[in-house]
Amino acid sequence: MQSKSKGPSLAWRFQRLLQIDAMNLVILIIGVYIVWSIISALIDNPARYLPSPIAVALSSVDMLYKGLLPSYFGDTLMRLISGSIIGLAVGIPFGLVLGINRTVADMFHPIMNFFQSVSGIAIFPIVVIWWGNSDKTIFAVILYTAFFPIAFNVLSGVREIPIRYISAARTLGASRFQVIKDVLLPGAMPHIATGSRLSIGFAWRAVIAGEMLAGQQGLGWMIFTGQDADRTAEVVLGMMLIGVTWIILDHYLLRPFEADTIERWGLVQR
Amino acid sequence: MNAMTAKLVVEGLCHHYPDEYTGESVHALEDINLELYEGELVSVVGPSGCGKSTLLNILAGLLPYKVGKASVDGKVIEGPGPDRGVVFQEHAILPWRTVSRNIGHGLEIRGLPKEEISRRVQEYVDLVGLSGFEDKYPHELSGGMKQRCAVARTLCADPIVMLMDEPFAAVDAQTRITLQEELNRIALATKKTILFITHSVDEAAFLADRCLVFSARPGRLKQIVTVDIPREKRIWENMNADAEFIRCRDEILRLVREEVSVAIEE
Ligand SMILES: Nc1ncnc2c1ncn2[C@@H]1O[C@H](COP(=O)(O)OP(=O)(O)O)[C@@H](O)[C@H]1O
Ligand SMILES: [Mg+2]
Repeated sequence: MQSKSKGPSLAWRFQRLLQIDAMNLVILIIGVYIVWSIISALIDNPARYLPSPIAVALSSVDMLYKGLLPSYFGDTLMRLISGSIIGLAVGIPFGLVLGINRTVADMFHPIMNFFQSVSGIAIFPIVVIWWGNSDKTIFAVILYTAFFPIAFNVLSGVREIPIRYISAARTLGASRFQVIKDVLLPGAMPHIATGSRLSIGFAWRAVIAGEMLAGQQGLGWMIFTGQDADRTAEVVLGMMLIGVTWIILDHYLLRPFEADTIERWGLVQR
Repeated sequence: MNAMTAKLVVEGLCHHYPDEYTGESVHALEDINLELYEGELVSVVGPSGCGKSTLLNILAGLLPYKVGKASVDGKVIEGPGPDRGVVFQEHAILPWRTVSRNIGHGLEIRGLPKEEISRRVQEYVDLVGLSGFEDKYPHELSGGMKQRCAVARTLCADPIVMLMDEPFAAVDAQTRITLQEELNRIALATKKTILFITHSVDEAAFLADRCLVFSARPGRLKQIVTVDIPREKRIWENMNADAEFIRCRDEILRLVREEVSVAIEE
């Protein structure tokens, strides 16, 4: 069996990743550019229905120049980051604590499953009724969206840890806290990684939706008002930024974290 | 006179598992009395389902008991504690810890200084023959190596009594023989007090100073067979020609057979 510690270095793997990605990416971008340009050239009134890539690029330059793009983009990212961090910081301990006692865990499992399946967008109307169109509303929805997938996953993870690991630690004299620290937390790590990725992914959707429905700034707001004001280039630009940001975030941060955690301990047979 | 100090005492221990659905209960153990003296290795054999694991879990403090009394060094057992180390049948070493961090886990829990831990871990790594594997994760080890690691982890925490529940049942026959000889060597070297549960008659006779034969469920102490062979002489190669070993093994086998047939007739 190959030892993990003697495997390729992180830097080497990162370089490899970049090389493969760069190739695919160039082909993909050229392909999209060609198809998009052709469609845009064939339709009537492309400025209203589908502006060419060049028109979108120009509008981004314009918005950069006015300082709107960095400001919107920054707002959206800040919302994602603060919402995700708080959601994870509360959701992980919450899931762990619920998972400690098997009876409590079994009781809460369906409830948590219920909430993690009711998407953030579905709770939007009720939150708007409570707090109106405000930053508070947006933040509450992001927090909700980030919290439940991670809490549910951690809870499931803790429930799946074989009892014998917990028994082993207890017979070595571990206190309740030491069982959490040495068994439950590391044992649930693969679920924490998967849950974090889910949480942040859902939170990203919720940020955009929240800004569209209740925002005054941000990328969601930008594509929503762009539609109102017939600035289709801005709408397309916003959509692209949303997608590209997620791909970068997921590919370079969340996925490697998930894969590394799961693989390192051999919890998943390769 | 250390040799006669009882480290583990069980008196009148009974156990019933409640069955929430039928309201009936499973009678697992009936009136168990036993004493483990310092430095002694006692094996427990009996037909499958006779309550061996139940006994061990009670002694480990993992299963609460109502009837009878069990104590270690005079202290009544009320929950798990580092005075009793357990080696489980299935691999219960933590997959996210390396071999040395698994072995040192008990000392880490106790809050010993790092240098002290690594010094003592090295001692037990060497004792169980895992040198060179200190930084491996459990999934990189063979089944036999995992159990060596589990044994080392328990020994390193230095319990008063070591409880082992069919620890070699899940490894292949060849490895099992090696592990049995190694445990014999370790018992000789460390003078640990060990309760060793097994369903293998050969294993029970090979390792035990005394072998407790349990009856079919509800588990009762049917008979005690004393195996009078010095540990230095216990090597499988010699055993097939050792009159004392053969006598003990056949006696245990006969007793267990009686119980297995009882279990079948029921
Ligand atoms: N948690 C439990 N609940 C109900 N019955 C149990 C439980 N654990 C074991 N038993 C029953 O108690 C008896 C003794 O089991 P066990 O101690 O595991 O036997 P052994 O280890 O000797 O094979 C068996 O009949 C088993 O089915
Ligand atoms: Mg058993």
